Amino acid sequence: MERRVVITAASAITPIGHGKKQITESLLAGKSGIIPLREDALVSRFIHSRVYGTVNYPIEYDFKRAHRKTMGPVAYYACQAAKEALEQSGLTHDFITSGKLGVSFGSIHGSPTVQRDIYNIFFEAKDKTAYQSIGAVEYLKSMVHTTAVNITKMFGITGRVVSSGTACTTGSQAIGFGYEAIKYGLQEAMLCGAADEYDTTTVAVFDNLLACSTAFNNEPHRTPRPFDKLRDGLVVGEGAGALMLEEYEFAKKRGANIIAEVIGFACNNNGGDLILPNLAGITQTLRLGVENAKISPQEVDLVSAHATATKMGDIIEAQAIGAVFGEHPFVIGLKSYIGHTMAACGAIETIMTIYMMEDGFIAPTINLEEIDERCTMVKHVQKVLAQPVKTAAIQNFAFGGVNTILLIRKPD
Amino acid sequence: MTRQEIEQEIKEIFRREFEIENPGLDDDLREKYEFDSIDAIELLLEIERMLGSELTQEEKKQAMDIRTINQICDYIERIIQARKTAA
Repeated sequence: MERRVVITAASAITPIGHGKKQITESLLAGKSGIIPLREDALVSRFIHSRVYGTVNYPIEYDFKRAHRKTMGPVAYYACQAAKEALEQSGLTHDFITSGKLGVSFGSIHGSPTVQRDIYNIFFEAKDKTAYQSIGAVEYLKSMVHTTAVNITKMFGITGRVVSSGTACTTGSQAIGFGYEAIKYGLQEAMLCGAADEYDTTTVAVFDNLLACSTAFNNEPHRTPRPFDKLRDGLVVGEGAGALMLEEYEFAKKRGANIIAEVIGFACNNNGGDLILPNLAGITQTLRLGVENAKISPQEVDLVSAHATATKMGDIIEAQAIGAVFGEHPFVIGLKSYIGHTMAACGAIETIMTIYMMEDGFIAPTINLEEIDERCTMVKHVQKVLAQPVKTAAIQNFAFGGVNTILLIRKPD
Repeated sequence: MTRQEIEQEIKEIFRREFEIENPGLDDDLREKYEFDSIDAIELLLEIERMLGSELTQEEKKQAMDIRTINQICDYIERIIQARKTAA
């Protein structure tokens, strides 16, 4: 049995705004969410890359203590986005708690802020009182599935829990696995998404791999620069995205506002190197996605590329897009606005794509001033286009050689 | 410590640490205030600070069935008495 799966709600917290109105306005204005890296008492002073995709505005949280006590910053983001998606969906409390709704939500490694606090206690421990101060709460805040289970607790969700933790494909897998759970009849609905909080240790990892942008430290808004000749690496970011996926007939029957349909998902692995992008692996992912969606590649109007703005990654992705989709679809790199929001990128970029589909425009890849001649085989977007989009692909690739593609379609 | 002092101290801990204002002495803390096992462990740490001595593993396990403020006060009185007897 294969059932249709639709999206009935979406909300995101991003470096360019919170919710559809702010995010859409920023996309149309070409606004960057990249600002100088915040100083911390750990590694920031050693990092060469001085930029970060930052959620630089207050968020009004209204969580009671019973919920707050097990939440680190990443869970705050996740629960807020989830709350907004749940409210927007209009699903009843009875349904939410019925077991027919599951959660598919992740982050790259729980809360690094809380983990840092735990390490501080260990390294500064003088006697066993330090050891005793590590309690269940710290684990619940920092564990890898902290976003998913804080959501289940806050809203009383009793269906299945999936918590992908595959770095930069966490969010796209969360949506993909939620889609599969509904498609194959395991759940009627899945609340899907991902989040990541501000974390300089993540920047340090990429910085040490020479993968971070450093040439625009004094002009943060000019980086990252996907597919641009002057691109010099990724910019780490933070944020969250949450989407409500439902079985089509169920959503239709209850009169839900269907904002998009998930028509396909594929995920594979390069089967080798855990860091370097792999043309064969990525090309195969895109082919599998099109096959899964039962469409022809020519039906895809828009590709939201992973496009981190690393030297090799963008070239290989452009080659893969060219090989599978040809020159037909418009190609954009949304990380040019928000940086690489790590686990959240798949969810946030899917939501941004839906917003563009809904409003009939395509946001350009900002900072794409001179296209790298090795990336010219696809149709880049360098200015806002008033352009209806029927079918879009969202691509994400992760450390560990994991590749994903989601295919979504605008409802008739 | 008198029973009244213990009660006052516990209510202050509940206000400060658990954002629970003036709970009834026989209110079921779990039912009424969502006071769960995580809170119970935090409360035991507060009780250790209050008494100025560590609770044994056995004493901590005995606290896991406690449901009300009155039961918490009973528990603390028993611990104080046990410490006096041991001394």
